[in-house]
Amino acid sequence: MKSKSFLTDFYYKSLYPILEDLEKDRKQLRYRIIVIGIIYTLIFALILIPLYSSIQDEDVLIFGAFGYIALGGIIYKFLIKDYTSEFKEKIISPLIDALDENLSYHKDLHISEHLFSRSKLFSNPDRHSGNDLVKGEIKNTKIRFSDFHAEKRHRNSKGRDSWSTIFKGLFVVAEFNKNFIGQTVVLPDTAQNTFGDLIGHWLQSKNIGRDELVKMDDTEFEKKFVVYSDDQIEARYILSHSIMKKLSTFEKKFGHPLYISFVRNHIHLAIYYDKDMFEPSIFRSLFEYKTAMEYVDTLHLVTGIIEELKLNQRIWSKSE
Amino acid sequence: MSTPLIILIVVILVLVLMYNSLVNKKNQVENIFASVDIQLKKRYDLIPNLVASVSKYMEHEKSLLEEVTKLRADANKANISDEKKIELDAKISSALGSLMIAVENYPDLKANENVMHLQRTLNEVEEQISASRRAYNQAVTDYNNAIEMIPTNFMASAMNYKRKQVFEIVEAERKNVDVKKLFNS
Repeated sequence: MKSKSFLTDFYYKSLYPILEDLEKDRKQLRYRIIVIGIIYTLIFALILIPLYSSIQDEDVLIFGAFGYIALGGIIYKFLIKDYTSEFKEKIISPLIDALDENLSYHKDLHISEHLFSRSKLFSNPDRHSGNDLVKGEIKNTKIRFSDFHAEKRHRNSKGRDSWSTIFKGLFVVAEFNKNFIGQTVVLPDTAQNTFGDLIGHWLQSKNIGRDELVKMDDTEFEKKFVVYSDDQIEARYILSHSIMKKLSTFEKKFGHPLYISFVRNHIHLAIYYDKDMFEPSIFRSLFEYKTAMEYVDTLHLVTGIIEELKLNQRIWSKSE
Repeated sequence: MSTPLIILIVVILVLVLMYNSLVNKKNQVENIFASVDIQLKKRYDLIPNLVASVSKYMEHEKSLLEEVTKLRADANKANISDEKKIELDAKISSALGSLMIAVENYPDLKANENVMHLQRTLNEVEEQISASRRAYNQAVTDYNNAIEMIPTNFMASAMNYKRKQVFEIVEAERKNVDVKKLFNS
């Protein structure tokens, strides 16, 4: 796997001609979005103001505002669609190739629902979507990750559906270097942080939807996470002292809520993230260092999981 | 229902809950110790094989090998107490640790397929033992807390429950790896 500085160099040097072309497209697109945005706002105002003055009902304004945002969002997505697709093909795809030749990138695919449900981290979704799937092998260890959005349906008494988010963010699945049979789930510790150790522990042990609570012997880890498993010993076999330290460091690096599970000899990591991973920013230059670093950083952090957690080390009797 | 009766029922209920929770904690300790025992046996089963494979090469380490063999024989004796098992485990862990370090000095051994396989298996068993030790220690801590804390301590002394011993972590495991030493060797 290549270093971060190699990737940054690659971004600025090898991709330079493409960046130049795309930067022109981006400026044109930005201009178009601003013009269309102004026209769209004017049209909306022209319809809404006379309507409000004739009906004099505040609901019209609220309804109007929702309509304005929703329709605006659809138009915006439609406008940037081609640019986004070109950006991913010409920038992200080569960047991933450069990172490791054993990785492949599929901009329209995502982690399967089966893998998401298998992780046991969240309830089963009624609807899911995602994109930017990266899959392959790093140091002989299989890994795949993508953006994933899982939602649950709620039906009200009138039979109308509404959707709530179960998970949105980055979902990573990788082979684990130890064999295990049971399932162990590591969740962000909200109860203990909110209610303190004593009541928090008691509440956690009463979580009916989960297996047995496992108290871990690493104070920092125990403060950040809560562990449930169907096997007290196996949970500790998987979560050795060094893995606990590394996961704590990881959580700090990501800076987002981290959900981890160990099921069927795989590690599943869900990083709750309110942003798409490889989406281009229309209002910021492609040459800005911050823009480049964002893509490189995300890629490096995720693929670095294998090396940092030493998932490639097979010192155990697990067959290679 | 009269008030004294309600109070009596509540008191009985609380006593039953306390009793059950204590029994539950004691059984948890015993269950987990059974798993520790299984893992320890797995390791003891590996030892004769390991000793046989390395003894041809390791002439200078005769005393170490003898010690490992003797400790294994002690551990395999029938009817030894849990405390004794815990003590023997600590001794064997450190003896095997020294043996594995000694293996590093014999290039022939390091290249030997059989020894490598044994080493991997031993690594895994050690890791599993360490996991079950930690699980056991947690169960014992919960149990010890319950028999010492108010109000369960009264019930525990009535039931004649005594504190249990935890596994001490072997000193060698706790030490950080000395990188300087590694590079110099």
